[in-house]
Amino acid sequence: MSFLKITSAHKAYRTPEGAMVHALNDVSLDIRNNEFLTLLGPSGCGKTTLLKCISGFEDIDSGEISLEGKDLKGVPAHRRPFNTVFQNYALFPHLNIADNVGYGLDVAKVAKKKRNIRVEEALELVGLSGFGSREPNQLSGGQQQRVALARSLILRPRVLLLDEPLSALDRKMRENMQIELKLLQDSVGITFVFVTHDQEEALAMSDRIAVISDGKVQQVASPTEVYDEPANEFVANFVGTSNIFTGRIFEKQGNIVTIETANQRKVQAESDRFGIGDHVQLILRPEHLKFTPGGNGIPDNCIEGVVETCIFVGSDLHLHVDVGKGRKAVVHHRHDRGNADEKIEAGSQVTLYYSPRAAHLIKAMAN
Amino acid sequence: MLDKILNSRFWSWLFKGYGFVFLTFLYLPLGLIFVYSFNANSINMAVWTDFTFDWYLTIFGGANSQSEFDAAFTESPERIFEVVRNSAVVALCASTISTVIGTATAIALQRYNFAGKKFYQALLILPMIVPDIVLGIALLIFFVGAGFELSLLTIIIGHTTFLASYVFIVVSARLAGMDTTLEQASADLGAGPLTTFRRVTLPQIMPGVVGGFLLAFIISLDDVVITYFIAGVGSQTLPIFILAMMRRGLRPQINALAVLLLAFSFVVAAIGLYLRSRKT
Repeated sequence: MSFLKITSAHKAYRTPEGAMVHALNDVSLDIRNNEFLTLLGPSGCGKTTLLKCISGFEDIDSGEISLEGKDLKGVPAHRRPFNTVFQNYALFPHLNIADNVGYGLDVAKVAKKKRNIRVEEALELVGLSGFGSREPNQLSGGQQQRVALARSLILRPRVLLLDEPLSALDRKMRENMQIELKLLQDSVGITFVFVTHDQEEALAMSDRIAVISDGKVQQVASPTEVYDEPANEFVANFVGTSNIFTGRIFEKQGNIVTIETANQRKVQAESDRFGIGDHVQLILRPEHLKFTPGGNGIPDNCIEGVVETCIFVGSDLHLHVDVGKGRKAVVHHRHDRGNADEKIEAGSQVTLYYSPRAAHLIKAMAN
Repeated sequence: MLDKILNSRFWSWLFKGYGFVFLTFLYLPLGLIFVYSFNANSINMAVWTDFTFDWYLTIFGGANSQSEFDAAFTESPERIFEVVRNSAVVALCASTISTVIGTATAIALQRYNFAGKKFYQALLILPMIVPDIVLGIALLIFFVGAGFELSLLTIIIGHTTFLASYVFIVVSARLAGMDTTLEQASADLGAGPLTTFRRVTLPQIMPGVVGGFLLAFIISLDDVVITYFIAGVGSQTLPIFILAMMRRGLRPQINALAVLLLAFSFVVAAIGLYLRSRKT
């Protein structure tokens, strides 16, 4: 039996100007028990709306949300076995940390003694033992975040919903919390549904990622699959950076296809799915475009170009290379400190190549 | 340029002097009442003769050193106690009822959307703008027309009609500053609407509710104009009573009564300020 199942959910809003916005447009999603699923998408794509519809703060216009086969329609938020970690944490300012964490148990009228033991356990779980008597405003952002987690987890929800919980933290803190959240999810064995617009966060933590845009689910897959085999152009551009060549396959040898683009460029890729005559898009990640080694063994599918801009980001050099015919390619080149001969700057002549196995093909949208 | 002139010694003294004169003008009358309330001269209170607590004692029924002349112009402690009790009953009832109504209305208008919301908001502010005398006459006509006998009850109803507006405004301001995700968080953690109100919303808006209550209490306590129209024969409140005393001449006992009323108002205001500063 499926766990948390969303079936063709629709939700439309009327903006103050009177226009209709389809926040959810036929969303179907099968969330598995104990998985870490991330809803990833740009702001305004409908991911937070979806989370609110699951938690019960908003209702879907049509479709169905069900938990283990039971329709949740009409079940108010306070009766759903889900808990939410809010973007701004939403800790109660008039209660101390222990009372914040114990709120759900107090509402459920759990006996005082049992309640105190569970509050202490929950605080220990998030590494805040002994913080019970403090006030929320005495804690740092990261600590408040942990309190919010403890407050939700103490009720042992079937699903924990997290609404961009890390976006208010600084970068270092965020990276630490990413690891901690993932470990926490493994140890408590609760399904996490995590909303974010940060693709790195999604790739780092998730078991599966649902990429959402314009109220539609674009792809649901593991992080590696989303990155290496994006389902469409939107996913390819939103998750990481992509070089995309659109054209028609005119030659196939074994499983190596050659594609001719609109301006007579020829590019190669490996594919079983597509044959001669198919309109396709070739997606190539910037780190798979490499400089040709000098001397012998130059591959035959090289691209000549001139470096236009060169941005140093620490581990990598991000290059924009003009490859002629009005096209630019993005190249991420591993910064090699030991190699003194290598000198790349704006204006450098470079020869690029890629392995056809690194390229991913998708069906081109008719336009 | 302007800075230089304003910072010069002459202007600096001039502004300080102005401030001093202004505040003196504001507080000297209050100070005079305070001083006169201890003046033993019962004929002309502006001429100081001797220091005395008698005027206070006449209020509490402890003085018997009065001349017959004084006694004719001094109200009995029983009478004063009766009107103070009337005032207390009216102020407590009216401010309590208007706090409940004002708070409930503020929540309804802040949290829910319905047709005519703006119109209701305007209606709620209106009693504060309508001149007291108009409101007083209107209430009188209404009570007489509806067959109410003028009593403490009519004063309580009358006060509630405009005090609810004050509470509404104070609580609305507090509600507007409240993070609504707190209520969502409460629901998320299993609390139904009533529990959420009791455990989250009310504690969050409590300073506003208490502030609104105290404001309503003070306004009710010293309201003259509206009360004057709707008070019955046996239901005089303290301000109306003082007004009636004044008609028979400005007697020293009035000073003492006024000082006590002022002191009480200060205490209430201080409690309000304390509660507001404690948790914001």
